[in-house]
Amino acid sequence: MQWWCAATGLPWNWNWQWYPGVHLLLLLLGGFWWILGRRQRWSRRPTAWFAVAWVGLLLTLDWPVGKLGAGYLASVHTVQFLTLTLLVAPSLLRSIPADGWQRLAPAGSRRSRLLHFFAGALPGLLAYNLLVLTTHFPSVVDAAMTTQLGSFAIDIAWLVAGCFLWWPILAPAGLVRLGVFGMMGYLFGATVVPTIPAMMMVFSDWPIYRLYELAPRVSAHFTANEDIQLAGLVMKLIGDLPLWIATAVVFYRGTSRNRGLAHA
Amino acid sequence: MLLKTLLVVPAAGLLAAAAGCRGGEQRALSPGGFFGAELPTPVAKPDFTFTDSKGAPFPFVAKTAGKVTLLFFGYTHCPDICPVHLANIAAVLDKLPDEIQRDVLVIFVTTDPARDSLSVLDHWVKGFSPAFIGLTASDSVLAAAQAMVKLLPAERDSVRDASGGYGVGHAATVIAYTRDGRGRVVYPFGTRQRDWAHDLPALVAYGRSP
Repeated sequence: MQWWCAATGLPWNWNWQWYPGVHLLLLLLGGFWWILGRRQRWSRRPTAWFAVAWVGLLLTLDWPVGKLGAGYLASVHTVQFLTLTLLVAPSLLRSIPADGWQRLAPAGSRRSRLLHFFAGALPGLLAYNLLVLTTHFPSVVDAAMTTQLGSFAIDIAWLVAGCFLWWPILAPAGLVRLGVFGMMGYLFGATVVPTIPAMMMVFSDWPIYRLYELAPRVSAHFTANEDIQLAGLVMKLIGDLPLWIATAVVFYRGTSRNRGLAHA
Repeated sequence: MLLKTLLVVPAAGLLAAAAGCRGGEQRALSPGGFFGAELPTPVAKPDFTFTDSKGAPFPFVAKTAGKVTLLFFGYTHCPDICPVHLANIAAVLDKLPDEIQRDVLVIFVTTDPARDSLSVLDHWVKGFSPAFIGLTASDSVLAAAQAMVKLLPAERDSVRDASGGYGVGHAATVIAYTRDGRGRVVYPFGTRQRDWAHDLPALVAYGRSP
């Protein structure tokens, strides 16, 4: 039995498979969030955000998406990347209310200084981009995805990368460092570096990932080359969309706040 | 301190990844300049008459004379090796110049003639490339042909799946014959498109005076 989805080289089939590691992680996460809220006596429990993160994790890491992405289709692997970094990670950050963050990292504490530091544009971009580049290196992907531990590490790295990416935008008052235009510039900056692996996937003469090039085909009508090119397109075209939407939201909220202040 | 840690740890990861990437790129060429494995003693072409997927006789040696020939024994129900090998060769040939494409024949010989009827074989092989050739023959000819090219004979699995289907154990190797009719290089499963892209022009050029 496999505890985490990893490439096996076996032909694809649609038989359901249990991955206990995924379900254990979800149980632990749910328990941690529930206990944290009770201990800290949150003023409100952002259940909807946590539900989005929890369901997002379940759909991304469990069968069939987890299995397809780990060992068969690069395009599904990319969808996992986007879901973890652009949906699950920000939802997790939002699933702790502002007073929860204040209790987690009281003003002046070492934890608070750490969170404040990572709310800056440069640390956020550096950490996010380095994790994204590293986890998309062909040799890293080819080696990691064939072991359960490696595949687990890649998934967790993407979740962490997403937290780094969104923290400067979603950090609560007291920890946030960027202004409206800083956030907009930051979000634009976040779209630049992932273009590199995306374009490598689209324009490389030959498939860049050995794993997906030689994986048993899920459909005879969907070649490895098409799959990897699609992965690159998904990463760039669909992956940029949430960041542009976030930019628009930041701008709208910023201008609304300024209008409110001007009227006051 | 924090900034230093932030920069050093991921950078170290990136460098390690880059080093790994370079390591992965180091592929050894054979003495003849191929990424495939050169045979110490070239093998002859299987001198048999097969039946092509249109039902016409296919005298192998005569029909492939003067061409680089990639010969592969497999079966159309194969869930992994056969479709990946053929899809990769098709993808590479499609990007190579016409003169290379014209000089290369890709021949797929079924090891499961019971299920691979002519129409099944034709539809499956042409699905990869209209230029690919599917061949079949009697069990005895197939066994003799595989023995002649020094491949382990294909063997039907005794265990059947829930739908009554079965697998066929077969050699995962593509044999490449140069234009002089000698099988000189073999390509195991795992051969990548970039390897084919390098080797196919080299196979076509093999034996030609510079």
